[in-house]
Amino acid sequence: MKRLLLFTFMVLLVLPLSAQKRYDEIEYPEMNPINMPEVEEFTLDNGVTFFLVEDHELPLINVRATIRTGELLEPASKAGLASITGDVIREGGSENYPADELNALLENRAANMSTFIGFNSGSAQLNVLKEDFDDLLPVFVDVLQNPAFPEDKIELAKTQTKSAISRRNDEQSQVGFREFSNLIYGDNSVYTRQTEYATVDNITREDMVDFHDNYFVANNMTVGIIGDFDTDEMKQKLREAFGSLPAGKETNMVFPEVDYEYPSTINFVNKENVNQSFVVLGHIGGLRENPDYPALQVMNEVLAGGFSGRLFQEVRTNLGLAYSVGGSYGANVNYPGVFRLITMTKSSTTAEAIDAILKEVKRLQEEPITQEELELTKDQFLNSLVFRYDSKSKILNERIDNEYLGLSPDAFDELVEGIKATTIEDVQRVAREYLKPEQVQILVVGNEDEIGDQLQKYGNVNKVDISIPEPPSDEEEVAGDAAQGGEWLEKMADAVIEPGTDMGPIFVESVITQQTQMGPMEITSTAITNYDDYSSERTMQTPQGEIQMKIENGGGTMSMMGQERPLPPQMATPVTNEMKRNYIAIALNKDELEAEYLGSETVDGEELEVIRIKGDVTVTYLLDAESGLPARARYSEMNPQTGQRSQAESVFSDWEVVDGVALAYTTVTYVDGEEAATQKVESHSIED
Amino acid sequence: MGTFLLLLIMGAFFAPAQAQYLEEFEDKVTEFTLDNGLHFIVIERHDAPVASFYTHVDVGGANEPVGNTGIAHIFEHMAFKGTHYIGTTNWEEEKKVIAAMDQAYQEWLAEKYSSNPDSSIMEEKWAEFEQLQEESKQYVVNNEFSQIIERNGGSGLNASTGADFTNYFYSLPSNRAELWFNLEADRFKNPTFREFYVEKEVVREERRMRTESSPVGRLVEEFLAVAYTAHPYGRPVVGWDSDITATTIEDARDFYDTYYVPSNITIAIAGDVEPDRMKELAETYFGDLREGEPAPPVTTLEPEQRGERRFTIEGNTQPIMLIGYHGVSESHPDFEALNLLGNVISSGRTSRLYKKLVDEEQLALQVGAFNGFPGSKYETMFLTLAVPNMGVELDTLETAVYTEIDAVKNGALTQEELDRARTNIRASLIRSLNNNTGLARNFASTHATQGDWREVFRRLDRIQQVTLEDLQRVANEYLSKDNRTVGATVRAES
Repeated sequence: MKRLLLFTFMVLLVLPLSAQKRYDEIEYPEMNPINMPEVEEFTLDNGVTFFLVEDHELPLINVRATIRTGELLEPASKAGLASITGDVIREGGSENYPADELNALLENRAANMSTFIGFNSGSAQLNVLKEDFDDLLPVFVDVLQNPAFPEDKIELAKTQTKSAISRRNDEQSQVGFREFSNLIYGDNSVYTRQTEYATVDNITREDMVDFHDNYFVANNMTVGIIGDFDTDEMKQKLREAFGSLPAGKETNMVFPEVDYEYPSTINFVNKENVNQSFVVLGHIGGLRENPDYPALQVMNEVLAGGFSGRLFQEVRTNLGLAYSVGGSYGANVNYPGVFRLITMTKSSTTAEAIDAILKEVKRLQEEPITQEELELTKDQFLNSLVFRYDSKSKILNERIDNEYLGLSPDAFDELVEGIKATTIEDVQRVAREYLKPEQVQILVVGNEDEIGDQLQKYGNVNKVDISIPEPPSDEEEVAGDAAQGGEWLEKMADAVIEPGTDMGPIFVESVITQQTQMGPMEITSTAITNYDDYSSERTMQTPQGEIQMKIENGGGTMSMMGQERPLPPQMATPVTNEMKRNYIAIALNKDELEAEYLGSETVDGEELEVIRIKGDVTVTYLLDAESGLPARARYSEMNPQTGQRSQAESVFSDWEVVDGVALAYTTVTYVDGEEAATQKVESHSIED
Repeated sequence: MGTFLLLLIMGAFFAPAQAQYLEEFEDKVTEFTLDNGLHFIVIERHDAPVASFYTHVDVGGANEPVGNTGIAHIFEHMAFKGTHYIGTTNWEEEKKVIAAMDQAYQEWLAEKYSSNPDSSIMEEKWAEFEQLQEESKQYVVNNEFSQIIERNGGSGLNASTGADFTNYFYSLPSNRAELWFNLEADRFKNPTFREFYVEKEVVREERRMRTESSPVGRLVEEFLAVAYTAHPYGRPVVGWDSDITATTIEDARDFYDTYYVPSNITIAIAGDVEPDRMKELAETYFGDLREGEPAPPVTTLEPEQRGERRFTIEGNTQPIMLIGYHGVSESHPDFEALNLLGNVISSGRTSRLYKKLVDEEQLALQVGAFNGFPGSKYETMFLTLAVPNMGVELDTLETAVYTEIDAVKNGALTQEELDRARTNIRASLIRSLNNNTGLARNFASTHATQGDWREVFRRLDRIQQVTLEDLQRVANEYLSKDNRTVGATVRAES
């Protein structure tokens, strides 16, 4: 008996203090209260508003200014102005703190300073160790108030912006997001507008100075400060530092209406070297100010929230079609958001994935969600609320962001109440009211050869052209004499095509010697070209074998060893342009072209008459005054390899006339001053 | 006397930062190790009623057996599939079907890779496998494990796999800490390999997304494969496609048995929690985690490189270039000097590479140099990334990078540059100390790799000891032509 007792006692001793439970048997203690920090707000006479929060955990101070400005305010012809201005304010420093000095000053003290202008807001931030604050706050304000905008930093920002443009088609998802926004808001909408080489070139230093002076004023500035400081002392420092900012005028941000018709479209961008389709589908979304906003958030969670959403469950977990799937019915405060669902799936299952996503959208409309789903969503939302307030800086930032956007301070509390009150019926009702699965736009960025004809069933596939508009030529535009230009163009046209000639497609046999990195390469070419519609068929014998090229409507195909493949736009476009610049094309289409006479020029002892011809392409011809035949042509073309413009010059000689059409039997072309190719024609004729 | 005084002053000047923080954290950190070897670090931060939980497993792509690259990552995915009672309606029945399904798949594989595969047998095995897979689905409660976490307010739920490690993490309202203990212990005690073969297709989509369809992804995969001839750092963490095909549930279970042992796992919890309670819960839920044998080390060493390696990938995207040099593992005395070297030459607008290549000569859109790629546990690489501006030839940029590196080798670095880098490293450490997830991650991984979370702060002492001469010496020793691999994406010649 005694033994037994002892034994029991020992068992009790080794038992753990608590036992393992099932997860659903755990009882949770009360949550500790959330400590909401004091936020001190005050406004200076000039209009700068401050929000201060003390946070003594680390010896750091962070200042973040939000500025009422944005890309929204820049003219379309200068797209990129806001972003580049935002960049150069910091990069260029001020008169007192020029860039190099500023960088050394900040980095010696491990301080971070940045300025940025986005779509509908600007920001400037300073993060410093507490002991450096007094020294660096005036520097920060000086840079904000008196940026120097030095030419070299402007040039640097422009170069970098252009490099980024040249890279914007490299990653599939970037192409997908951008082109889908275009489909929803329209190509020329302020909400999707792209910065182009040409718009960057249009931006001047004066534009940037004006942009800064208009918007970086006290009335546009809300400043949040958080860190290891005493509020009263800090207020005094801020008054001194920001007090001299000009008051200025508060910016009126106008967000244009979006006119959306709910078209059903299927769109495609071809991307080589990928084996996965980036799929995005949807239509316009809504505004934040909407009594249905909370129900729509519940709907979003059920459809695509986290690991529990239906899309994740079905498209990823059940079907194994994707790693990444998601999206939402988006709502913005100031302009309509986008309803957008996205996935990435292997080429062969592109349509299967699209159908699986659309099926889930329709299911939301056709069947009520389950009680379980509703509760899961509400629990998830309400139990994670604490993470909204788990740091003082989050609380401060939310306060400033709401203030900036014009959301009422209790907007979030209203959302919480709205979500609590949402019913199963509400979710089905908003799904029916706001989602239109029969009227979606679908965009696929993927590999055409692998995808095949999967997309045809959604309608006529619209191929989206994503080729990057070339920068305009660097040549100085000198206005020439139009009347004389027209006369010289007539003379040249008559010299190239005898008046009264019955034109047809022109057949040319030639040998082209092309300079390559491996030395000269000889190509025998026969080509039939129709300069009426810029179509041509060409057969080339090259050391690597026979190549056939077919060009029409600005596009084309190339086949080699029985393998036909489409010509990418960066190749088809220069080939088409070459036809458009040809003297025969110019002679044939002279009535649609404008010509300017730029005077005469002596080249290699010969005096030549110079005319610039403008149509779809621009080319300068140097004509022999007596015969009117072109001696030289100058033009620039995008080099698809380098992404830069090259300057080219062709020199024509050995003219022969057959069937009323004159052709230079020798053409030598120089690119950027170096000999690139020589064409020797063997025969030419006009086809019937 | 004078020198002594100077030393004292210097000491007083440099010591405070790290000493002060280390002292503060000594008060906030509690550590304990369970009898089975599982180590816990608890970091108290009572500002908000939340906590972050972070599990660091000392296994990654480098530990994978030949033929099963990607298995560490596949297992990471399986850790979200539930346990013996979460994610299933009937585990007893389900496990039989899973076993039969794996058997059928293995037989299919055996036929596929036999010297003379018979297509009708393959079809038959595949049909059998598919039928069992379909059958297994009837027991599955989709994503129940993750849903429980989300429903309880879980935030930032995720996991990742690297060359050296696998980690699992999320945050909860701190009153729900017991839920984390319950679920985390359960998933590592009772893995089920549920939905294994469908999940491999998800992983393959991840591979397509991150590697096969991404210009940078393709470049990095090729780069490592060229740079390493012997050491597993040369293999992709996501795995080769054919290895993903060849990996079975049995393989994954063997991998789990070998590496998911308590001595190979470090857990950190940061937030509004009581250390005593955490210890109690740790013993309750993790006390019976099987002890297992210590995980085996990687024994292959990368042999000395015999000459420069170069490759290009032609494509239709803009060029990007990687230049990498074989270096040392993090336990080597030169590791910190190489870290600091990367920092000195490329971090910030005043750094040499930025100032020359990005700012003054405008050759590069972006340029960076850092030590420790793709991991740091084993001999790793010092990597330079260079992205040329539009119209700049890669050759020009590459030459310009070498010019800067040569200057460093010839002693061009100044004390000012070194001091600045040290100051910035110290400040970025301070900036990293105010969020639970970051703290948990940093302390757990530092404990796992260096044996003590205090090394987070002691690193500041180590970088203080690195001199200009050290930087010059390591530049000369490691950044040589014979020791380098250069890879680039270039536009195809049309």
